[in-house]
This record gives sequence, C-alpha cells and structure tokens, in this order.
Amino acid sequence: MAWTRIRKLAGQVAPIWLAVILLYALAAMISPAMLKPEQVANILQVAAFLGVIATGQTVALLLGGIDLSVAGVVTLTNIVATSVMLGSNDRIPLAILVCLVLSLMVGIVNGVLVTVGRVAPIIATLAMNSVLFGAALIYTDGSPYGAAAPAFKALAEGRIAGVPSSAIWWLAIALALAYVLRRTTFGRWVYATGANGRAAYMMGVPVVAVTIAGYALSSTLAMVGGLLLTAYIGNPSLGIGNPYMLSSIVAVVVGGAALTGGQGSVIATIAGAIFITLLTSLTNIAQVSTGAQFVIQGVLIAASVLLYRTLEIGGQRTM
Amino acid sequence: MKTMTMDRRRLLQFATALGATALLPRSAFADIISEATITGSAETTTGVAKSGKLRIGFSNGFSGNTWRTMALAQMKNEAAANADAYELIIVDGQGDVAKQVGDLDDLIAQQVDAILVIPNSGTAVVPALRKAERQGIMTVPFNLPVEGDTYSAFTGTDPKAKGAILGARLNDMLGGKGKIVAFGGLPGNSYSAGVWEGAISVFAPGIEVLAQKDGYWEEDRAKIIMADLLAAYPQIDGIFSDGGQMAAGAVKAMLDAGRELVPVTGDDYNGLLKLYESNKDDHPKFNIALVSEPSWEGVVAIRIAQRLLAGETVPKMQIISPTEINADNYKDYIKPDLPDGVFVDTTLTDDELKAMFS
Repeated sequence: MAWTRIRKLAGQVAPIWLAVILLYALAAMISPAMLKPEQVANILQVAAFLGVIATGQTVALLLGGIDLSVAGVVTLTNIVATSVMLGSNDRIPLAILVCLVLSLMVGIVNGVLVTVGRVAPIIATLAMNSVLFGAALIYTDGSPYGAAAPAFKALAEGRIAGVPSSAIWWLAIALALAYVLRRTTFGRWVYATGANGRAAYMMGVPVVAVTIAGYALSSTLAMVGGLLLTAYIGNPSLGIGNPYMLSSIVAVVVGGAALTGGQGSVIATIAGAIFITLLTSLTNIAQVSTGAQFVIQGVLIAASVLLYRTLEIGGQRTM
Repeated sequence: MKTMTMDRRRLLQFATALGATALLPRSAFADIISEATITGSAETTTGVAKSGKLRIGFSNGFSGNTWRTMALAQMKNEAAANADAYELIIVDGQGDVAKQVGDLDDLIAQQVDAILVIPNSGTAVVPALRKAERQGIMTVPFNLPVEGDTYSAFTGTDPKAKGAILGARLNDMLGGKGKIVAFGGLPGNSYSAGVWEGAISVFAPGIEVLAQKDGYWEEDRAKIIMADLLAAYPQIDGIFSDGGQMAAGAVKAMLDAGRELVPVTGDDYNGLLKLYESNKDDHPKFNIALVSEPSWEGVVAIRIAQRLLAGETVPKMQIISPTEINADNYKDYIKPDLPDGVFVDTTLTDDELKAMFS
C-alpha cells in the first residue's frame, strides 16, 4: 500500500524537518526577503559553522556524553590558526596541521578522562573548556594577533553554483559521518555504547576506544567549524567560540537526540542547525530584542524535548 | 591640531609638574594626556595624606579583550616608572560579578591604601566600595560607571556625550536623512544604553532606525547579524555602532554582499581604520566618524589615587573629553603595521604594541 509506505517513510524523518519548513514559511510571511537566494545562501553560510560543530556534538551525545569544550576548541582554533597563518597563503597547511593536532589531543584527553578516569562528561569537558580558554589567553597574553590568509578566506567565502563553500564542507562532512554511523561497524558500536555501555561491553564492543574516538571526532569537528568561522571573519577574537557551547547542544537536541545517549542522527542535526540559525536570523530581521531571543530559544529547547518524549513511541528514526 | 601623541617621558614630566602643584584651582581643573582634556566636577573629595611606600590595588573586571590588555599594560608601565612611590596590586574578576566582589574584599583585607576598579556590575560593587571607604581606603572606579556616589573619585568618558557626538556626525554624513542600522555591545550593558540614548536625542527627523541589535563588541557577531539585515533591507544608508569592531564586522558583511559601503560610526579600533583606508577609494560614500575610548584611562585613575593619598582635593567626577577621529585625521591614528585589534588612542609606543601583539 502506497499510503503505509509514505507513512513509514514519514515516520523515519525527524519532526525537526517539518519544523524547519514551518519556520521558514513563517519567516517568509514576516519578511519576504527571507526567500531571496542571497538570504538562503547567507543562512546556509552561517548555519555551516554551527552545523559542523553540532555534527561533532551529535557523536558525543550519541555516546551518552556531552562535549562542552567545543567553545574552547573553536576559540583556540581561531587564535592559533590566525597567529600561525599571519595572513600568508604559504602557511595555511601548517596552521591547519597545528589545529588538527591540538584538537585531536583535546578529544583524546576528554575521552580518556571520561572512560579511564570515570569523570562525568559534563565535568571533564567543562574543565577542558576552561583550560582551553585559559590557554588562549596565556598564548595571546590578551592581545591576539595575525589574520586569515586570502586563499583561506576563499575556502569559506567562495560560492559553488551559488552555494557557499562552507555549507558544502558542512553537508559533505555531515553526510559522510551519517554514512559512517549508519553503515559501518564503528557506527553501530557508537549507538550500542550510548544505548547501554555495559551491555555493549559484554557483547565485545571496544567501549573505551569507541568513546575516545567519539570525543576526538567531536573536538576535531569543532576545530573544523572554528576554521570555517575564522575564514569567514578573518581575524582573531577571544570570544569567538562562546556562543557555540550551548547552541551546538541545542541544535542536536532539537534534532531529536536524547541526552541519555544511543538515540539521534547526524542528518536530524543538520535540520537542527538550520532551525537555530533560521530562528536567530528571523529574530534579527523581525526586530526581536536579544532578551526575547534568549527566551524563545529556551522555550523551544524545553518544548522540543517534551515533544520528542511524547513521540518516543514512534520508534527509531533514521533521518 | 596639536601634536597627537604624548610619549611616556612627556607624561612623566607632566605627572611631576602636577605633583609640584600644591593646589589646583578647582574650576579650571584640566588634565591633559594625548590631546584630550579632562573636565572636573565642582563636587570634590579631599584625600588623606599617607606616608611611606603606598599600595594601590586594581580590581579588573575581566581581561579577555585587547582594550583591557592595553589598559593594563599602560597601568603597569606607569607603576614601573613610579616603583619607589607605590606598588600596584592587580586582581582579575574573570568576568564574574561575584568573584570581583570577593577580589575587592581581599584588597580591603590586605589594607591597601587605594582601590581602583573597572566594575563588572555598577551596582554589585557598591557595598564593597562603601566598606573600603569606611576603612579609610580611597576608591577610584574608572571606565565603566558605578551606581550612586560611594566612591572617592571617578574617571572615564561620558557615554551619553559620546553618543550625542556620534549621532550628530552620522546626521552630518547622511545630510540628516537616511535609513540606518545600529549596534550596541553586550545585551543590557549600561555603556551602550548611554551611548544610544545620547545618539537618538540628536538624530535628525529624517533618520530612520531600521534595527538596533546587540553585537557583543565582536566582529563575528556583528558580521552575522549584518548579513541578515542586508537581506531584509535593500536600502541601508548608514551604520551606527558604539564600538569599532562591530562597525568593521558590519562593513565586511556589506563587502561580502557586494553592497556599496556607507558612513559608519565607532571607536579607535585599528581594524576599522584599515578597512576605511583600503576601501574608501572604491566606495565614495564610505565615511567614518569615530570617538575614541582612551585605553590610558587607568593611568589617569592611578594619578587621581596618588593625589588623594597625598591629601589633595580632587574633583569627584573627572570626565575625559572625547577625541574624534574622522576622514580628515585618521592618518594620524592608523597603525597599518599593527593588528586590527589595537585601539589606537594609547600612550603605548608602536614598538611596545608590536612586542605585545606577537
């Protein structure tokens, strides 16, 4: 029966996609400018920073953990990348390499603290965030210097067929990770570890290694988000990562992931990131005050969690 | 126009000269650093003469941005040059309202002779300042306002007056007519509120404010917001900003969107001056009207404390007159070889700045 097939398919799509469509329709009614191709491109461009970071955050949440150190990783990436690059194209590979090594170290330490050290993820990554922000302050002594190289800026600011290249990076990363999580053994291990770590361990899943790899993935993607953001702004800024600590978690949660682990999807997080960015963009255009923006965001987080709890009977969603 | 900068040697001579002046005529009080004048209020505070090596505490609200770093560096330079007269004890509130109150209590417990403070909250520090005053410690808040009058003396700029100047200059640049967007700093901060109040009081009737947003004094935030505003408003004729970083972010968003640049306001952020320098020829409407927030305010605050501790009488409110930077004089201020993050109204030399930003 075609109808049941459609219903089955619809059941697999996270409700957040419907929310994105509804919010976009509302936004277009309030400001027709939201429909302009430039504005669509603009939203994708800005959503890409949050999107890449939230993609990594999804893995941390799937594992039943959380990664609060993404803010520190973004800030440190921005500071280190600009200071190593010094506005020169030759130094781009070195800057990326240094950031990659740093972020891998951060993720591995987070993972070891959580698994071997048995530190609660919220504490381990919060402590790491504090260390990273402090390190950025010590490294710069409060006076950040350097700039993104011209070729590096093009990496994020360029357009391919009208689509911002940072958005293409984001979608490519998210889709690749979605494939890994759904179709590979590693992916199944991640879901199994998050759903019930003990049971997974009994079944022979290398829980410790999977968790460490998951945190490394989270901080590496936060680093990539930080690089894209750096390419967009071009300058170092000590406060640049701050907004992403909470918004990355919000994007994953409105995408339907459970904070208890084992449930959620990277594809739904794409919609979550678009939803949050769209909401901010709409409140910017619709003259909503910053205070009201915070209230709306808070209400939506609570509402979406309530909604997903009610829908939980709907079973496993894959998109 | 007089010479723009005064190096530290000249500042020192000036300090010595002041020290030699036993009594300053109250109404004519004028302190000069750079080319700014400092206007003293009629209300005064008389200090208490202390002997021996003095201890001056400075409770910095936080230290996470370039302006604060530069302010701190200038205060340390001043203290190093006067190491035989006093010791400067610096504590950092790390952006935390409660930690700063604790810091102030620590300084009081250490029985310092004077406390300088840039408050994280203009209300939360009041009880601590009152406690200090009761124990005979001189208190000199600066840069950001403190509620009430429980302090010995205050120095800083007047946000409302700055806003009125920026508003008037934006009027002039736009010929009294145009659609503008506005940026303030952190949500709910009293400085941005004061600047905006001053600005809207002078806007010509032809100025239409399309949007007023919080840009957190950060380029990235302002650029992202401006990209949205550009989509929503096909015509934006001017940008009002109380900080140069946000003006720079907004200008970059316009460049990305391929829009013609328009007049902007801001402060002495080097990045904005560089943007103006490199784009003014391609964008004939691009113009700047800026008022600096001098990062040497802390030096003035130290000297006020010193004078109070010499038993002198000083004006209670010492307001630093705004220094304007515009298309005609920006070349005197721009530092092309230094990073965007530098605030150019400073007593730090280019060499000192280069050493800091490396």
